[in-house]
Amino acid sequence: MNRLRQWWMHYGLGVLLSALALGVALGLRQTQGSLLVELYSWITTPARPPVDPAVVLNQAATRELQALVAELQYQNRELKRLLQFTEQMPSSGIPAAVVGRSADHWWQQLTLSRGSQQGVKVGDVVMAPGGLIGRVESVTPNTSRVLLISDPTSRVGVMLSRSRHMGVMRGTGTQNAILEFFDKDPKVEVGDVVVTSGLSSFYPAGVVVGTVRAVNLDASPAPQATVELSAPLGLLEWGLIYSYAQTSTPQP
Amino acid sequence: MLKHLPLNLKYHLNGVVTALSGLLAVVAPWWRGPGLELAGLTPDWPLIWVVCWSVRRNAWQGAVAGITLGLLQDALTSPRPTHALGLAVVGILTARLQKQRYMQEDFISVALIVFGMVVIAETLMALQWMLLNTSVWQGSDGLNLTGMETFLDGLWNQIQSSGTISGDGPRSLESIWWNHQRNTLTSAILSSLWAPALYLPLSHWWQSQERDAKEI
Repeated sequence: MNRLRQWWMHYGLGVLLSALALGVALGLRQTQGSLLVELYSWITTPARPPVDPAVVLNQAATRELQALVAELQYQNRELKRLLQFTEQMPSSGIPAAVVGRSADHWWQQLTLSRGSQQGVKVGDVVMAPGGLIGRVESVTPNTSRVLLISDPTSRVGVMLSRSRHMGVMRGTGTQNAILEFFDKDPKVEVGDVVVTSGLSSFYPAGVVVGTVRAVNLDASPAPQATVELSAPLGLLEWGLIYSYAQTSTPQP
Repeated sequence: MLKHLPLNLKYHLNGVVTALSGLLAVVAPWWRGPGLELAGLTPDWPLIWVVCWSVRRNAWQGAVAGITLGLLQDALTSPRPTHALGLAVVGILTARLQKQRYMQEDFISVALIVFGMVVIAETLMALQWMLLNTSVWQGSDGLNLTGMETFLDGLWNQIQSSGTISGDGPRSLESIWWNHQRNTLTSAILSSLWAPALYLPLSHWWQSQERDAKEI
């Protein structure tokens, strides 16, 4: 008994403190660190410039507009023939400042300053000057975490604006992404504009993603192209969050 | 100013300072200031903190600190793969190095240790990614077009929904090792350069605590 007490006197505090530290860390992990993000967001509020939607819209890059024109012209032609096009993108997004970047080197993420209280939901689509940047993967009351399309685990269903050839684009952790085509012989040229495809279930169709920088038709198992993302992911200071309902679920 | 604080107050303050500095280290990568970013990467602050903590402590304390900060980092990124494993190993190894015996106690040797530990931690992460790759993955951006099934079959076999892993699909092997190479080289250089910025104030604080404890 005495020995036990002596041991407790010696190590008790250490054991208790270790248990406390592990408990708090585990709790934070289970809640996805929502307390930390909230606190951080609250502390850095004064240092963050207010987001003005008017300025946000004015700053949209010319490159994106040019690409959009090409895309819209094509869609217009198609619409006249098909008359079955449904508008999926709501007209106004929620502007949000970038509060933080990825907390480690393996994930490409952003933390934005708008959360569930402002109507952001998991799965919402995030855009910035230049085009698509990613999808909301978790929300807290006043912040949301975005998985960028440059993350190696991200998959975006895309197509070439010009030739309508489709494929899946995956990030590489840099400004360049790899586009893997479905067709064995896609009509692709350097400079082609890449937009999200209508068959993508996570993103609305026709959003500009980037331009083709290099083509490798001999790649295995499918032809590949290197796509330079049009949104400067490293320089972003704000994004626009659009709510987007998934039209279909992946089928196994 | 701190010298004039009553000793027992300073003793209680120690826990607060330690916990706060640890939290700050976990949150620090969110912020990218000038000189903090190299090729899109930032110093591995949680790892630097674990090294600073473990240098003058035993293996158990190193492991607890590593797991704690690892779990916190999981909270801020994604729980799978976990950062706790790498940081725990870093904590244990740093404590077992017995730095006082072989090396001088200064910030240059800490920078060297950080350099080595970044390599170990990133390698453990890459190995975990390899393991995750062979296991299952949550759903991917579905392209439900008939005729593509044959191509997608191979993909879908790997991508079956289970568990809550963020991301849409597995990392390719080349991407894992390319990332590993980039993270290791860039982050090791950057982290070891910035290590003294965290080590000097922390070791100063902890050593003054030890001195006070002796005085009491």
